[in-house]
Amino acid sequence: MDHKQAQDDFSDYVDGTLAESARAELDQHLAVCIQCRTELAKFRQTLGSLGRLKQHAPPTLLTDVKQQIYRRSRGRFFAPRWKLFGRIPFEWISLATIIAMLVYYLAMIHGSPTGVRPAP
Amino acid sequence: MSLAERLLIGRLRDRDPSAFEEIVRRYGDKVFNLVYRMLGNRHEAEDITQEVFITVFKTVETFRGEAKFSTWLLRIAANQSKNRIKYLSRRPTDGGEVDEAVPAPAGTPGPIAHAQIAGPDTLLEAAELESLMQEAIASLDEEHRLLVILRDVEELSYQEIGEITGLPEGTIKSRLHRARMEIKEVLDRHTK
Repeated sequence: MDHKQAQDDFSDYVDGTLAESARAELDQHLAVCIQCRTELAKFRQTLGSLGRLKQHAPPTLLTDVKQQIYRRSRGRFFAPRWKLFGRIPFEWISLATIIAMLVYYLAMIHGSPTGVRPAP
Repeated sequence: MSLAERLLIGRLRDRDPSAFEEIVRRYGDKVFNLVYRMLGNRHEAEDITQEVFITVFKTVETFRGEAKFSTWLLRIAANQSKNRIKYLSRRPTDGGEVDEAVPAPAGTPGPIAHAQIAGPDTLLEAAELESLMQEAIASLDEEHRLLVILRDVEELSYQEIGEITGLPEGTIKSRLHRARMEIKEVLDRHTK
């Protein structure tokens, strides 16, 4: 294993996703190669520094977003909605219509012909 | 997606103001950190973070719950950051504008929070390191930058990164390794 091959495996090695055999091979190389050991230490240090990069959102974020939403929706976004008419339930209306038509059809076919007089 | 998360999304769809506040409180830092690291400019990051939450509230009806809510949210943040980078790159006067040592506003925890309890020297070193790290991140192209931020700054799993970027795991790993090595080289050059 040369230096490049060893360093190509650094990410998987550090993430713990390197296959067992490749890990053993890299460990053997690291045991005898001070250059790769140094590079690995720097690599870990880089990842550690990245992990400490935390920026917090400004404390006014919530107020700012709320103001934007109120302004853009002219106050309608969070206005109380009457739930019954908040959304027309088209799927239920369609289903009820189909059932009503089916019932009517069955009634027409199987219903008794009461009140119908034969033509003279 | 957990039951608590489902209920929260349901309340958000009903435009419950308390659900809206909970979402901003819970994910505000995460979104801001991602956007800030992508753009390197606090003012732009504040603007985009607001836009991300506005987009989330406007489009929450389209969230189908196939991925975690946080993943969906971060995908929106990543896309909006990339769009802003493209927009800024077309405006040469604003394109290269990157914050120097990132002073946090009063009342906000500082850049590298761990250093703040130490003395001024440590604080200065932390600010310098933060500035250097941001410079190194900014030297990457936007795709590599996003992967490093998602994995090493936000500490997401490869599966979550795949859901956000739409990339297969193998591609993520190889690009991430290249990006990490580039950052390491930038740091090496500065510390020599």
